[in-house]
Amino acid sequence: MSTVTVSTGLGHAGAVSLAVCVRGLQRLRARPVLLIPTVVMPVFFVISFTGAFSSLTRIEGYGTSNIFNWMAPYAALQGAVFAGVGGATSAADDLENGFFDRLLLTPGSRLPILIGTIGYSAVRSFIPTTGVLAVAALGGLQLPGGVLGLVSLFAATAGMAVVFCLFGLTIVYRLRTLRSMMIVQVVGFSSMFLSIGQVPIEFLDGWLHHAARLNPLTNVLRLSRQGFVGELSWDLTWPGLVAIAAMTLVGGLSALRALMKMAP
Amino acid sequence: MTVVVEATDLVRHFGDVVAVDGVDLQVEEGEVFGFLGPNGAGKSTVVRMLTTLLHPTSGSARVGGCDVISQAGEVRRMIGVALQDAAIDPLMTGSELMRLQAVLHGIPRSVIKTRGPELLERVGLTAAVDRRVGTYSGGMRRRLDLALSLVHEPPILFLDEPTTGLDPTSRQALWEEVRRLNDELGTTVFLTTQYLEEADQLAGRIAIIDAGKLVREGTPTVLKSTVGAPTLRVEVGPEHVETTTTVMTGFGAERPSREGRVAIGLDEGAARVADVVRALDAAGVTVIHLELDAPSLDDVFAHATGRRLEGSGDEQ
Amino acid sequence: MTGSGLAGVMTAGSQTFELARRSLVGERRQLLSVMPGLIFPLLLAAVYTKQFQRVLDMPGFPEVDSFLDFILPACIVQAVSFGATAAGSELALDIENGFLDRLLASPVARGPILLGRLAGAAIVASIKTLVILAVFLVFGAEVAGGLAAMLVMVLVAALLVLVIGGLAQVMAVRTGSQEAVGATFPLIFVSIFMSSAFFPTTLMNGWFRVVAEYNPISWVINPVRRLVIVEWSTADALQALGIPAVLALGTISAAALALQQRLTTP
Repeated sequence: MSTVTVSTGLGHAGAVSLAVCVRGLQRLRARPVLLIPTVVMPVFFVISFTGAFSSLTRIEGYGTSNIFNWMAPYAALQGAVFAGVGGATSAADDLENGFFDRLLLTPGSRLPILIGTIGYSAVRSFIPTTGVLAVAALGGLQLPGGVLGLVSLFAATAGMAVVFCLFGLTIVYRLRTLRSMMIVQVVGFSSMFLSIGQVPIEFLDGWLHHAARLNPLTNVLRLSRQGFVGELSWDLTWPGLVAIAAMTLVGGLSALRALMKMAP
Repeated sequence: MTVVVEATDLVRHFGDVVAVDGVDLQVEEGEVFGFLGPNGAGKSTVVRMLTTLLHPTSGSARVGGCDVISQAGEVRRMIGVALQDAAIDPLMTGSELMRLQAVLHGIPRSVIKTRGPELLERVGLTAAVDRRVGTYSGGMRRRLDLALSLVHEPPILFLDEPTTGLDPTSRQALWEEVRRLNDELGTTVFLTTQYLEEADQLAGRIAIIDAGKLVREGTPTVLKSTVGAPTLRVEVGPEHVETTTTVMTGFGAERPSREGRVAIGLDEGAARVADVVRALDAAGVTVIHLELDAPSLDDVFAHATGRRLEGSGDEQ
Repeated sequence: MTGSGLAGVMTAGSQTFELARRSLVGERRQLLSVMPGLIFPLLLAAVYTKQFQRVLDMPGFPEVDSFLDFILPACIVQAVSFGATAAGSELALDIENGFLDRLLASPVARGPILLGRLAGAAIVASIKTLVILAVFLVFGAEVAGGLAAMLVMVLVAALLVLVIGGLAQVMAVRTGSQEAVGATFPLIFVSIFMSSAFFPTTLMNGWFRVVAEYNPISWVINPVRRLVIVEWSTADALQALGIPAVLALGTISAAALALQQRLTTP
């Protein structure tokens, strides 16, 4: 039997992460239908929220005079939640049909499997974000914050996809069923509601005001929206980045723990 | 000979269910080892433990000299695994999967460029490499799975029910390939199956598992000889059944048979067939049909468990 | 179908009842799957009430004490839409696993096969509506039209289930796939947002306003809302009940026709 020279260590881990990520994209290319919920739902959100609530901009103190500037980043973030959950769903798929075993039979650390999957979710989130921006542009979206505003939106949506992919993976690795993804979907969707998605925080009353202040997604919404409602500012940027980083850390550790417990 | 797969008192519980109940086995380098048992006997659970996918509840196992728990990484480097139902993503093409598998096992790009097509050709899939796996037949999937498991040239190959659900032709083709691997490369093959014929055809040595315990182990020939005498079956008219039974039980113990037939374990084997026929003739019995069956692995299984394996597996 | 006159009607009636019971028992077992259909609309109503309080002062917004009163009909319609497609997906499942063929081969009348599930779903929707009404009243909502208006809401909810469920059954019989039926839910989810459910159409602009005004959901929501925030009006009650009744007749007939075609074309 010939001995095989195999690469190990960091290079191998990087290559495996990349391969897992690329595989997700290859699947999407093979079945673009998988993208429909991720793109159609956020596009629908931007259309219906701007359509139904267009007159909100007439109220004094609303953050912008253009409803698309307010709603597009929100719809894009909702899309990112779907993209993240979609990434976790593909892992659930793999678990159910046994493909996951192939990944587990890889020599070396389990971390690259996780990194590849969240990388795939992050890349996947660019698709709904772009779709939402395109539709909003037709409606008259403006970008006072310039290119950096776009960058912060894409960064925030990618981060959001990573966070919800990690939460999704934690559930998938623990419960091992596709159905469990509904929980994450609903939690993600609802926690976006308990924030400043549709109106500024000053508009929120009572318990919702408190909930939105405590909700880390509020910081992410501010980060993603800042370039559409004004100039970029560091004060609106760092809390969002910190929120994403903290949630990624928590989600990452819990997903990794769940993975190690399931597949030692 | 070196022992390359070794399990010592392997036990696995799932909740209250004892799936594997103290299995000991040894597989030597270069042999094809058949792990035979009905559905739910614990075959797959043993394979999952030996391939590091599942921790044993107790006991230990070494594969290629490495412990499956503490040296899981080393074990994974040495084994190729084709799991039950060919876990293959239907949305990917054969060549995409081959590339992914190579990266997973850290095979350099330059190596896989030549080895990938070689392996796919070996299993006869060259024409289908750029098609999505979803369009493959069951046999093609198994062959692709086999090719994928060979990408890092593993010295030990685990095949979990490689031909379950395949048509006879595809089954033959896969057997051919397994034999070739074993002959040409000296690959050790650990094969689970619920098909007696498959174990008989491929395996040099067999272990039979039932309800989580090993019940027999040895070469097919030795195992069959332990069951004892071959079965002699005689078909006669209904009016002669009673006489025939009386006559034949003089030559060996009666065995279960269909109505209108009488079967015995022929004590001294084929040499005595003529005597039986002569005795029947003398008793005035007209024999419609007569057959002598050497003991099969099914007889071995039945002898060990009191149940038949054949026809008991698929519908579960 | 065999059986004539009263006896036939009674048989069909008891068969409908039996099949309704079967789908109700299913619902009870799947209490967990009913809960999202209650919790999500209530959460949405709670959030909107707290975020849209400033909207009440806008010129053109109907006079209400709280957004809670305004959103009550929307909450009911949304809650009903969850699970309303279940009557279709159950049918699709029965087609997928062959149970429908067994039913069709038995002397069960064709009507009950469709109506049984719809009746079960309608009962669940009525119960959901009662729960929602109770929650709203506890949190201070006021129904100007009183008990009569609440009864209308319960009936509207039941009728809407028949509309949506009938539509889902058409999809089920035509495609025989649960997945295809499942796709009708987002469609309905979308149409509720593109109506007067969450905001008055008078405060909308352009094509979206046109779509919302021509959306049949608005035609049901508007009279129900007047019953909640203005006063009891028999005309509004009749509109609120009549529109879904006519639509239900339409979708259920379409489902029956589809089933008939499925039987005659092999």
